[in-house]
Amino acid sequence: MGEEQGQVMVEAVEIHKYFKDLHVLRGISTRIMRGQVVAIIGPSGSGKSTFLRCLNRLEEPSSGEVIVDGIEVTHPRVDLNKVRAEIGMVFQSFNLFPHLTAIENIKLAPIHVRGASDKEATERGMVLLKKVGLVDKANAFPDQLSGGQQQRVAIARALAMQPKVMFFDEPTSALDPEMIGEVLDVMKSMAREGMTMLVVSHEMGFIREVADHILIMDGGIIIEEGAPVQVFEHPTQLRTQNFLSKVL
Amino acid sequence: MIIPVACDDKRTGRRTAHEHYERRLWFRRYAFLGAMLVVLVLYAIFLLPNTQKPSRTQWALITGFFLLVLAWVGSLTTDDEKPTWMGAVAAVAFLFVFGWLFYRYSGAQWSKLVFVFLNKGVMEGEWVPLLEGLWVTLEIAILSAILGVLTGLILAVLRSLNNWMLNLIIIAYVDVIRATPLIVLVVVVYYALPYVGILLSAVLSGILALTLNCSAYASEIFRSGIESIHAGQVEASRSLGLSSMKTMRLVILPQAFRVVVPPLTSTLTGLLKDTAVCSVASIVELLRAALQIQAWKANPTPLIAATVIYLLILIPLTRLSNRLEVRMKTRLGSAR
Repeated sequence: MGEEQGQVMVEAVEIHKYFKDLHVLRGISTRIMRGQVVAIIGPSGSGKSTFLRCLNRLEEPSSGEVIVDGIEVTHPRVDLNKVRAEIGMVFQSFNLFPHLTAIENIKLAPIHVRGASDKEATERGMVLLKKVGLVDKANAFPDQLSGGQQQRVAIARALAMQPKVMFFDEPTSALDPEMIGEVLDVMKSMAREGMTMLVVSHEMGFIREVADHILIMDGGIIIEEGAPVQVFEHPTQLRTQNFLSKVL
Repeated sequence: MIIPVACDDKRTGRRTAHEHYERRLWFRRYAFLGAMLVVLVLYAIFLLPNTQKPSRTQWALITGFFLLVLAWVGSLTTDDEKPTWMGAVAAVAFLFVFGWLFYRYSGAQWSKLVFVFLNKGVMEGEWVPLLEGLWVTLEIAILSAILGVLTGLILAVLRSLNNWMLNLIIIAYVDVIRATPLIVLVVVVYYALPYVGILLSAVLSGILALTLNCSAYASEIFRSGIESIHAGQVEASRSLGLSSMKTMRLVILPQAFRVVVPPLTSTLTGLLKDTAVCSVASIVELLRAALQIQAWKANPTPLIAATVIYLLILIPLTRLSNRLEVRMKTRLGSAR
């Protein structure tokens, strides 16, 4: 996998984040290549979600730069909406729009951001619903869907914008165990199709199977990184070993 | 007496519920009870002393009768074995008897009261001015409501931009308007503005004052509705690439709508009542029209008529807004 500039999808340079006096991110720098699946793991409070949210400026980094597909996201005059349209995000609490049906949730952004016609957006939306296995739920409202179904609709909604990279902020942490599998299956098929993914998660089985690269965060810094086999089997840091011994 | 709910079982010879009923003690049958109630009511109407000032013995008779009715109705309504409709009928009968006793024996001079407050003669030919006043009331109320709600919505959306200067101005506006009694606001708009060259007709100044008042309350209602929407909704919408304004229009406001309808409808009902305050600005709305008739006919019946008209409009309005509130609640709840 080449390291030329064209292959770098997301680059973070020395990201620092303060919440009042709390130094939550202490200089995170990393690169995510096109087509890579990168997992971020670590104990609670290590700053994983904060880091992910800094990348599309849902949280404003206190300092540092974020570059996504060549565009400097942290630039003061950047067209943030345009950048965000290229980054898909899936949240722990799904955040589906409760006043819209599943298909309406999915076609909202393509129509109002990309100017797609209702027909186009609906067709593509149905294709995505088929992909996540929920065609028959197209006209259901979120409160009529189970957690796993909602999350799959949320993934379809993010995919509807045809993003270049997908961020997942603990996508299965709010799900009952029997529904985690169906969501992970969707994520696996996305990875197989070559989507660049950045996943904050505790699902070690999934990560071991699918991730190309793992970042281990603790106390606001990346304490270790590498391929899953290497990190899980031969962790070099003591803190990594401590953390892994608790979760594996 | 507990009656088991049994099915029809003539083959085995076991008694059905109906047969149990037939064998009940005769004085507990529903028909008998109902008949007794009717007898009591008829006695109240025709056989109680027909005088406004009963003597001592007559009072004893009346009190005894009342207690009897009370006891009878009480036993009917509190007995769980009796159907609920029976309790309802008994309660209605009781209210009727009570009202009748009050009417007869409370010593009120009903005919005099009717002459003063419900005088048909006074109102003859005066309905048209009263209804013209009502028309003005409705005009003012509807215009102020629309303008006030729109202004309030705009103010709330501006507040959501979190610009500190804008926020300061809006907060000052809302605080001043809400702290000013409406009648003072109307008086200031009507009497003071002309001194700075702003000359508005009476009706327009009434509408202006009511709009200002409504907009302040409406903006707070909308603001709290907008803020009640889970932050995750905004995050999801923004991360799809939707702008701030599009997020507000497509995601936040549709959800906030359900939250704001109850307080908003009660504010608007209050607005309709507040139109009466505009009478101090010489606007001839319903109240002032009624006062004018009262002044030249020297009889307060027009005021009673105006009150009744207010009730006829406001009670259905309140019921309607309650129904709306219930419908909003049974639909989708707020974001998860």
